[in-house]
Amino acid sequence: MSAPSKTLSALMPGDVPAGDGRRALLAEIDASCRVPVLFFVVSGLAWLLLGTLLALVASIKLHHPGFLASWEFLTFGRVRPAHLNTVIYGWASQTGIGVTLWLMCRLCRVPFVAPGLATVAAVFWNLGLTVGTAGILAGDSTSIEWLEMPRYATPILFVSYAMIAVWSVITFRLRTERHLYVSQWYLLAALLWFPWLYATAQIMLVMEPVRGTVQAAVNWWFAHNVLGLWFTPIGLGAIYYFIPKVIGRPIHSYYLSVLGFWSLALFYNWNGLHHLIGGPLPAWMITVSIVASVMMLVPVTVVAINHHFTMWGHFSKLWHSPTLRFVVLGAVCYTLTSLQGIANSLRSYSEVVHFTHHTIAHAHLGVYGFFTMVMFGSLYYVLPRITCREWPCLGLVSVHFWACTLGLFLYVVPLSVGGFLQGLAMNDASVPFLKVVEGTLPWLKLRTCAGLLLGLGHLAFVANVAWMLARVFGPYRKPVVALLTGQETPVVVGK
Amino acid sequence: MTPMFLLMAAGSLAVPAVALWALRWAVGHGEFQMPERAALLPFDEAEPVGEATDIILNQRTSKR
Amino acid sequence: MNYGPLLFLGILFTLASSWVGLVLMPNRQLGGLTPDTSTNAAGVVVVYPQARPGEAQQGAEIYRSLGCVYCHSQQVRPEGFGSDIERGWGKRRTVSRDYIYDKPVMLGTSRTGPDLTNIGERQPSVEWHLSHLYNPQITSKGSVMPPYPFLFEVRPVGARGPSADALKLSGEHAAPAGFEVVPTAAAKQLVAYLRSLKTSSPLPEAPLPRKGESDDAKSSATATNTPASK
Ligand code: HEC
Ligand code: HEM
Repeated sequence: MSAPSKTLSALMPGDVPAGDGRRALLAEIDASCRVPVLFFVVSGLAWLLLGTLLALVASIKLHHPGFLASWEFLTFGRVRPAHLNTVIYGWASQTGIGVTLWLMCRLCRVPFVAPGLATVAAVFWNLGLTVGTAGILAGDSTSIEWLEMPRYATPILFVSYAMIAVWSVITFRLRTERHLYVSQWYLLAALLWFPWLYATAQIMLVMEPVRGTVQAAVNWWFAHNVLGLWFTPIGLGAIYYFIPKVIGRPIHSYYLSVLGFWSLALFYNWNGLHHLIGGPLPAWMITVSIVASVMMLVPVTVVAINHHFTMWGHFSKLWHSPTLRFVVLGAVCYTLTSLQGIANSLRSYSEVVHFTHHTIAHAHLGVYGFFTMVMFGSLYYVLPRITCREWPCLGLVSVHFWACTLGLFLYVVPLSVGGFLQGLAMNDASVPFLKVVEGTLPWLKLRTCAGLLLGLGHLAFVANVAWMLARVFGPYRKPVVALLTGQETPVVVGK
Repeated sequence: MTPMFLLMAAGSLAVPAVALWALRWAVGHGEFQMPERAALLPFDEAEPVGEATDIILNQRTSKR
Repeated sequence: MNYGPLLFLGILFTLASSWVGLVLMPNRQLGGLTPDTSTNAAGVVVVYPQARPGEAQQGAEIYRSLGCVYCHSQQVRPEGFGSDIERGWGKRRTVSRDYIYDKPVMLGTSRTGPDLTNIGERQPSVEWHLSHLYNPQITSKGSVMPPYPFLFEVRPVGARGPSADALKLSGEHAAPAGFEVVPTAAAKQLVAYLRSLKTSSPLPEAPLPRKGESDDAKSSATATNTPASK
């Protein structure tokens, strides 16, 4: 074992690594992740591009309904769910899994276990998604929000989820670092919660549908938990790792992070039925969810304090590190979207904004501003390390960052305002409905502009990744460059 | 009705019981001593605390 | 710290608790709902709700497949909460029992278009629906609802003159000379479904709101005059 650093030996007496008596080096672990992680990430990026295209089509259709209207498979009611499923299950979930696998290996201190298992899981995942998306466009959408993929596609996906959950348990059991970091809690929880959620929802909604409005309860229990128990823990787990890692300073308070985890686990999964305020379900169910939504103030505040205090005094590094930029932006958006969500779940506010485009703005502040931004940041860190290549073009990094940040801003702020006004108009019965529709048009057009900006950012990122990969697989193999610190390489293998 | 009720009653007793047991187990194993040290887990000898990583943008001086 | 077992148990119990609370309990309370049988003022026994007749049920599948739910909700919020009732989207709020035959239940979360819970009552005209589906601009200029031309067939007018069900179009939307626009079976099924959407029979848990003693009798009479089986 190489000499442990002073801090570690001082604070972790008796921390004897297991296995062959030496902790795997981070660089070894990184290299072992290359194939499976790249597989998930690259397919995630492909779905991101497809999802962006579908999003633009859907967005244009909302202000120019005649656009591409003669093709049945491109009608709004199919393109929209195709967009949701490609970005949620294709881009966000796959990239999230890729980053999760890497983080788990690093934090458990084991080189990638059973890469074959994970790679087969990725193949199944993409297969299921392709079948599912084609099914939606062909007209087999279930019209159950967040579960539109037809029943012949979802079992394929489920095989994949289950394999990944098994992988995570194996890795966890084989870990050579006994102690757990807070990110691992979040990641493990996400990996175990998700197959359960998904299987329950599939069985109760698609295979053997329950009766009437119980379907709506199951639907929103599931859909909200995809956000709260799948994306949120992966995103938070990544933030908890990358902010300290990039700035070289431990998290502000580990106690708080423990409190944050358990309060999230307790409250978030009760939130789902706030999507049905005013709906036909008995009041107690919805009230329970509203109470749990307000309780979300606890984990949200705790996480906000922890992230933002850790950053305190290190903001200048935002200038230098793409990872930090994206991740910190994501952390800020997490706080904002959660506060907005808590407001949305109050009856008086929901009365206005439910059923409007305000909800869509909120959704994008969450899934895009928070989760996608954190994933972009994570990839800026992970990809150079698993490929042993530097980012080929720093200009593209800036284009990516600014296009996505401006695009996000231009998406969320106007649509939040526009949606709110739409809700006020709709609640005033003296305004004819077509006037309400007319009032939304300028905001919807702005959204298309925002979408174009986001698309530009995605293209810049994909180009950069493709360039990097071309170097990895191409004939011009440069020697390993000092990994991103600009210093002498610390990767010296040996004991 | 009755089996359901029994199930719920048993559940509401079992859950806190197991939670208490787990808590006792954790305390017994010294899980709550110095929790703050876990905050150091992302760091190691190669990348110790105090050393920033991923500093790649806007630094004219760096050579590659 | 090695919270392994604690962590696994916690992960298990937290989700299990909400599964019991938000899935199992609702299923227990609502999963066994049955239609309501009542006798109206005229002494006729009314069973509500009733399963949809075949063509309307096929139309529900078209509605599902074309994703109308992404713009249209099917739920009426209670009086005093939003303006659903003032807008004429329903006479009373909807309750769980209204939906016992719906698979999937398409409550919707967006009102880019109006609520359709009671469209069958509000707009009974087959012809209006067909023209509207063919191109919403015909009936509702400025709408953002997409046109559904693929639910219609544009074909040459036969030797015996225009078909009975050809759309009566004029101006910019008219078919080219010598051609006619005829709805496909799917279009007719979809319209049958839309016309079946009616939830204004009162239920014990959701009576029709009383506006005042005088028109109370009148409103409940109109409600029971519209049998749900239509
Ligand atoms: C892009 C959103 C969108 C989609 C998708 C959509 N609609 Fe609409 N719909 C609207 C809007 C906006 C209106 C109001 C203006 C009008 O009458 O066209 C409307 C109105 C209606 C109306 C008349 C309601 C009334 O109160 O007069 C019916 C019926 C209708 N839509 C049925 C459908 C059906 C059936 C589908 C699916 C095949 C569908 N809509 C898909 C947006 C949409
Ligand atoms: C933490 C507290 C949060 C609360 C209380 C909350 C609350 C809500 C509410 C009430 C709605 C429904 C609005 C309506 O339809 O009227 C909603 C929708 C949504 N939220 Fe959140 N939210 C929170 C965090 C998040 C996060 C972190 C994300 C992303 C990771 C997110 C993503 C979404 C999405 C995608 C929708 C749209 C669902 C749809 O209609 O398709 N939310 N949220």
